Amino acid sequence: MTHAIGALAVGACAAWLAAAILGLAATRRLGLVGSAVLSGIGGGGAATCGVLLAVHGAGPTLALGSATVGGAKFHLAPLAAPFIALLGLVAGAIAFYAPRYHKPARGTALYLVVYNLALLASLAVLIAANVVAFLVAWETMALLCYLLILRHHDRPGVASGAFLFIALSEVGFVLIVLAFAILAAQTGTLDLVTIAARASRVHAGWRSAAFLLALFGFAFKAGLVPFHIWLPAAHPVAPADGSAFLSGLIIKLGVYGIALFGFTLLPGGPAWWGVLTMGFGAISAVLGILYALMERDLKRFLAYSSIENIGIIVTALGAGMTFTAYGQRAIGAFLLIVALYHTVNHGTYKTLLFLEAGVIEHATGTRDLDRLGGLIRRLPRTAVISLIGTVAIAALPPLNGFVSEWLLFQGLFQGFRISSHLVGILIVIAGAVIALTGGLAINAFVRSYGIPFLGMPRSGQAASAREAREPVAGPALLAGACVFLGIGAPLVLTALDRVARVTAGIYIQSKLIVPQLGVIPAHTQFSEFSPTYLAAFLVAISAVPILIFLAGKPLARNRRVPAWDGGIVSFRPRMQYTATTHANPVRVTFEPLYRPSIHVERASDDPAGRSGPVHYRFQVTPIFELYLYRPVIRLVQKLADLVRPIQSGDVNLYLFYVFVVVVIAYAVYPL
Amino acid sequence: MADVAPGREPEELSDELRRRALRLFGRSLHIRTVDTGSCAVCESEIRLLAAPHYDLHRLGFFFTPAPRHADVLMVTGPAVRAAENLLRKAYHATPDPKAVIAVGACALGGVYPEDELIHGAIDRVVPVDVVVPGCPPSPLALLQGLLVAVGRLEERVCALSLDLDAGSAK
Amino acid sequence: MAFWFYRGLRRGIATTRYPKSIDPWARALPSAPAFHSARLTTQIADRLAQACPAGALAREDRELVVDLGRCTACGRCLDVADGVVEPSGEFLLATGVRAALFKRVPIRGDDGMRSG
Repeated sequence: MTHAIGALAVGACAAWLAAAILGLAATRRLGLVGSAVLSGIGGGGAATCGVLLAVHGAGPTLALGSATVGGAKFHLAPLAAPFIALLGLVAGAIAFYAPRYHKPARGTALYLVVYNLALLASLAVLIAANVVAFLVAWETMALLCYLLILRHHDRPGVASGAFLFIALSEVGFVLIVLAFAILAAQTGTLDLVTIAARASRVHAGWRSAAFLLALFGFAFKAGLVPFHIWLPAAHPVAPADGSAFLSGLIIKLGVYGIALFGFTLLPGGPAWWGVLTMGFGAISAVLGILYALMERDLKRFLAYSSIENIGIIVTALGAGMTFTAYGQRAIGAFLLIVALYHTVNHGTYKTLLFLEAGVIEHATGTRDLDRLGGLIRRLPRTAVISLIGTVAIAALPPLNGFVSEWLLFQGLFQGFRISSHLVGILIVIAGAVIALTGGLAINAFVRSYGIPFLGMPRSGQAASAREAREPVAGPALLAGACVFLGIGAPLVLTALDRVARVTAGIYIQSKLIVPQLGVIPAHTQFSEFSPTYLAAFLVAISAVPILIFLAGKPLARNRRVPAWDGGIVSFRPRMQYTATTHANPVRVTFEPLYRPSIHVERASDDPAGRSGPVHYRFQVTPIFELYLYRPVIRLVQKLADLVRPIQSGDVNLYLFYVFVVVVIAYAVYPL
Repeated sequence: MADVAPGREPEELSDELRRRALRLFGRSLHIRTVDTGSCAVCESEIRLLAAPHYDLHRLGFFFTPAPRHADVLMVTGPAVRAAENLLRKAYHATPDPKAVIAVGACALGGVYPEDELIHGAIDRVVPVDVVVPGCPPSPLALLQGLLVAVGRLEERVCALSLDLDAGSAK
Repeated sequence: MAFWFYRGLRRGIATTRYPKSIDPWARALPSAPAFHSARLTTQIADRLAQACPAGALAREDRELVVDLGRCTACGRCLDVADGVVEPSGEFLLATGVRAALFKRVPIRGDDGMRSG
């Protein structure tokens, strides 16, 4: 079995490498399709590998070169299993999507090469068992994603978005390198498994330093507030499947890093690690969704929503660490399972939504929600699949988003079991914040589905959309996965439980799944629910009105009458809600957070506005850019200005430097 | 129902209206007001019906904004042509059985003659079942109109005589 | 306890008892005109028909036709023929039959003059 898992992983790598090479031929249709097929095969292999790894609980190790600097070691650990499975699923879905979305061209060819190599690099990050391998794979992945974003580099906003991505990625990378360096130096080895074994002997201060550096470093990649500003800049400007890949997988690598440090490398840390992580996550969740509600651009909206969901995942991780630190290891393992489950879920439905956003942009030519409308008639298949994705991400039963968020609440509300009252209260506060997030998310996704798909088209572009050649299979696959992950949650959670068993060292099968397909949050008396039966119940109960309708159909006479419209002459698209107005209650309520700058221009002072249009401009103040990043950048520039005289360009000065260094070397050498 | 059918007395017709209405509307009635261009004083009086002094809820009457939920349309105004579309749409949106109550002198053809901007009377646009004269009709008159429409009150005007010297024969 | 509670208890229920009884102040409401047919002459009838701004009064041969539906109770007919026209005090005029609002008042003032 272990060999099979290893073989699948290697096979996936080979397939992606082949896809990258074949991608060079993507200037022709055949090359494009062939590359996509190979990419999909690799995805299937990786997905199977991940599932088998989770179920089996152990994976093979592969060492290349020596174990010291210059050698790479790969090990398939169960903690990486859900991420590998997600990678496979995302790659598979995008493989179905790519041939219909991209056109054969030189730019596409380069893009496909970069994309498949990025898949390879992501897999390498997940299976790296060596500090060097991890860091090399990580940086490769980041650079390849940077190239990915630059696909349409001549369009406005692309270059700056990609730059923000790589700049913040590099800052995070520095912190990650420092974290690993501390651990490697303190434990004397570069091998991750050995580090994990020896970590308990490292001095607590060093361990905390390493964890904090890792937390902040991976937070840059994951997109936690306030390190998130690259997400809304980079995601909209990448091509749709690139955005899907970024949001569906790459930010999960940040989560993987945090989980790696929190549960594998430095297990058993003090409670404040968990509380800090949880606070990070909760704040990201609520700020993410609040900023999402102000967005008119569909892809920027989805980017902020990704920040929100990553916040939820990290809250679960942090709460898990906190519970474990207080001895509640069953709930700790349960929350780790919830975090991994939500990771997979979010990867599934966010990828789906980004792919569909790409279809919408392709069909209508715009991403602006205020210009869309009525797409449910023009893009029916897209509408149905998007609906499944939207219901899933809004955490409505019976789909997967609901199950994972419900379980998260079940875990968080057990905060009373913690001996420290303060921490218990903090956990429950985090639960309340996540609940607020959930409510705002429903508002946000009603808006993001209702405005583009329902109602009347708000512009000619939306009215002329056609579904003829738009990709359907890829998103449909993900929609099916959403349904399966929700209804088949007991199965998925059993597999994740094996992961948690190996990772956290505790086996809670009996406290997780009860015989009748129910799920319990680690304590039988607390609660229990069965996602499978819930789904069956919902289907059954919605069948009742349908059956009544069908039974009464022969009896009732149907009369078609016009809808009551208030007696107006006719409906016009401008009478509808726009995305901006739909979010107005939130905008007004949270105005102290948004600190908007509002400009109103009138043609004259006539209060009835009779003499021309009124221009209303509302802009959210980017408080993180203004109050965090700009001061730091200015500080760095000031320091750079201070240091600049060293590099004056004067050859004589440089010769003087050489002289000084030689003198010092001679002085130090005898010592 | 607005015209007197040949050979039938007004009293007979009003009895028929009363019985039909009582059967259909029972003790609960939902009213939707439609303004076809009035001066809004009739609207003020109608609005007063919901106030504590007149309180139409104690009689089982309710206002509803949706014609689909209405049993009765209370129409005011001289049926301005620009509002004809609105009135017809509201009339067709109200499900059967329904009644139309024309309220105020304008709605009955007084004050404004028919010209290119105004129909002049509501019954030139939709069939009218009950009329409530007045300018504006007092809320008491409106209540009487509603009660006549549901058949809980007899109408008084059929027997009314405006001749003060009628008793003294010539 | 709130002040309005006591005041309400003292003053009693303010809602009208209609349709059980009509409030006494309703007698002073504007109402349609009533006519003394004995004093109504053809001349006066024509003057009244001309004076009514709502077109509620018309003379048809030997009868004055009063359209109660069109009457706005403005009182101009009262000013024109004081002594012949009085407020009738009738304001509860709802009916299902539009034709029932056309009231005919015989013009008998001429006869009196002729016979006199």
